[in-house]
Amino acid sequence: MAVPRRTFLKGGLSAAAGLWANLSFQSCSRGRSRDASGTEADAVPKRWAMAVDLEACTAAQGCRECIAACHQIHNVPDFGNDKDEIKWIWTAPTNKVFPENERLFPDEMAAASPVPVLCNHCDKPPCVKFCPTGATWKRDDGIVMVDFHRCIGCRYCMAGCPYGSRSFNWKDPRPRIARVNVEFPTRTKGVVEKCNFCEERIGQNLSPACVIACPENALAWGDLNNPASAVSRAISARTAIERQPELGTGPHVFYLI
Amino acid sequence: MTTFDDHPRPAGHVPGEDDSALIEHIGKTGRPFYLTLAVLAFFVLLAAAAYLHQYRNGLGVTGLSRQIFWGVYITNFVYFIGISHAGALIAAILRLAKAEWRRPITRAAELITVLALSFGVLNIVVDLGRPERVLNLIRYAQPLSPLVWDIVAVTVYLSASSFYLYLSLIPDIAYLRDRGTKPRWFYQSLALGWRGTERQLGFFKKSSGIMAILVIPVAVTVHTVISFIFAMTIQPMWHSAVLAPYFVVGAIYSGIACLIIAMAVVRFAFRLQNYVKPAHFNNLGILLLVMALLWLYFTLVEHLTAAYGGEPNHLVVFWSKLSGRYSLYFWAMALLCFGIPFVILCVRKFRTILGTSIASAAVLIGMWLERYTIIVPTLTTQRLALGRPLYFPTWVEWSILAGCLSFFVLLFILFTKLFPIISLLEIKEGRDEAVADFRVRLKSYFPAEAPGSSGIDNGGESQFNEHPS
Repeated sequence: MAVPRRTFLKGGLSAAAGLWANLSFQSCSRGRSRDASGTEADAVPKRWAMAVDLEACTAAQGCRECIAACHQIHNVPDFGNDKDEIKWIWTAPTNKVFPENERLFPDEMAAASPVPVLCNHCDKPPCVKFCPTGATWKRDDGIVMVDFHRCIGCRYCMAGCPYGSRSFNWKDPRPRIARVNVEFPTRTKGVVEKCNFCEERIGQNLSPACVIACPENALAWGDLNNPASAVSRAISARTAIERQPELGTGPHVFYLI
Repeated sequence: MTTFDDHPRPAGHVPGEDDSALIEHIGKTGRPFYLTLAVLAFFVLLAAAAYLHQYRNGLGVTGLSRQIFWGVYITNFVYFIGISHAGALIAAILRLAKAEWRRPITRAAELITVLALSFGVLNIVVDLGRPERVLNLIRYAQPLSPLVWDIVAVTVYLSASSFYLYLSLIPDIAYLRDRGTKPRWFYQSLALGWRGTERQLGFFKKSSGIMAILVIPVAVTVHTVISFIFAMTIQPMWHSAVLAPYFVVGAIYSGIACLIIAMAVVRFAFRLQNYVKPAHFNNLGILLLVMALLWLYFTLVEHLTAAYGGEPNHLVVFWSKLSGRYSLYFWAMALLCFGIPFVILCVRKFRTILGTSIASAAVLIGMWLERYTIIVPTLTTQRLALGRPLYFPTWVEWSILAGCLSFFVLLFILFTKLFPIISLLEIKEGRDEAVADFRVRLKSYFPAEAPGSSGIDNGGESQFNEHPS
């Protein structure tokens, strides 16, 4: 009687483990194949990137057009305080954005000068590694996505991101949206969100809202794999730096100094 | 009052005539019980109300923010799972070390393990933004995430510990069944037909032995994986290899402290002075002292390497703990986790039941602060923090902590109303077999004696005679 029981237990546990491994694998491969919708197989795959021209940007003079445009079309709520705030793109002082590059900005005024920051859509995104449900993943074209329906709100991705690019909905955002854009989903409380590189606009062959909104054309954007794109030309013409490159994340938002 | 006797017991164990204290607390409910129940239930209900408020209105009702998004709940999570290492150490390691004095405390240790693990897991669910989607963790488990490894490890540990606890309960449940303790159907069904036959006892001993061995690597893995949640990120003063052994040591440390307090209370409340002696607290106190020193070692290693390396990212966090915003918590932690316990436990005279209990209480508070000062300062100071916002936990978070602690104690007490808090079988085994086993062991590593001399074989002199420990 002892042997069949043991065998049953072994078989049962193996079956359960196999089933779970299979389901996990399915969810992983589903994640990998969640591509940009509707694209045909390109000869050279696209890799979206952005370059911020720090000389052209007039954030220091109070310009916030990119932020206003992004937050308006993506239904980003305004809670009016630092605790609950959600921001997809915002400005931060230069010496905080590039803390290890102090020597590039010795002037005190330059050090405090605001710089636009957003999700870097890294090549090796730490947030994707840490998400326990695969609710965030990297598309083949480089955009790091968030699935607002699968997210359980554990905020581990926020712990993984070294740039602080992600925000969490601490409260119901809907009452705090000034004017709802019905063409983009609103979120619920309890999920994480961040810049999505305007993937819904890219899908319609449009440029990201921040790029279009900038009155100084300080944001260059495009396919890094295409040498003729605006971003490729921008970073080959000037010195371009990344945020904290030593971390090995491979950010794809460059800053032209 | 005989505590050992030489008559061989029948295979089905029956405690001695004087062991009534071991089961007297079962089913006994008086004024103190109902009063305690009322106080604890109040905090549990308060926590439930707090959680309902949070569920309805979002996690914004806590003090958490975009900058500091993990706080009291994650601290609780690490804290409770740390306490769960009481069982692994006492029940498993001491058993393997054949330390006979562990016998009266294994049941409480295993119970603490099962309860503490459950509350650790509960705090994670409380911390989720969308708790109704918790099954996504199973359905879509992303295997590269340390949180997923954590789920696997904790599930294995919880299952193993629950099984180990239940297994060790079976002979005692059978005894209560045979005694006719009400409700009969309860003990009847849970006893699983245990008759105390040689075969069943053999199976029981073998399974307990295997479980004791298995539980140790599982316990070490669990807290290592929990440390990985922080250590695998690239945040300053989280990303450190030393976090893994640091967490394991901290877990065992807080586990022993919890066990000491539990046994002190149980001894007093249920009048078990005959079974839980000052010697037990002395031994546990020595173990606590060893863990205190290990804890100090890892704390020093972690902070000294960060400070000496001098990386600006790390230094910001380091100084915020030592002299900055979090210095109050940090130094309170140092005092409670080391200063007070070390002074008490070093001195033999102070290693009394009261002394070790005071040291343990300090450790339990200090270890909560330790987890807090690992988690929050890193989040506060790195990543463009501009001096705002500070983290002030709200009534919601404190209520849930109070509720978890109360519910923990409540479930512990309810257990004692149903089952013996000291394992009857362990006591019986201790009486019947420990001395003989000990004699055999001694013979195996002492030189052989001349015949006729007083020694191990011949009843021996006083140092080898059995004493009630």
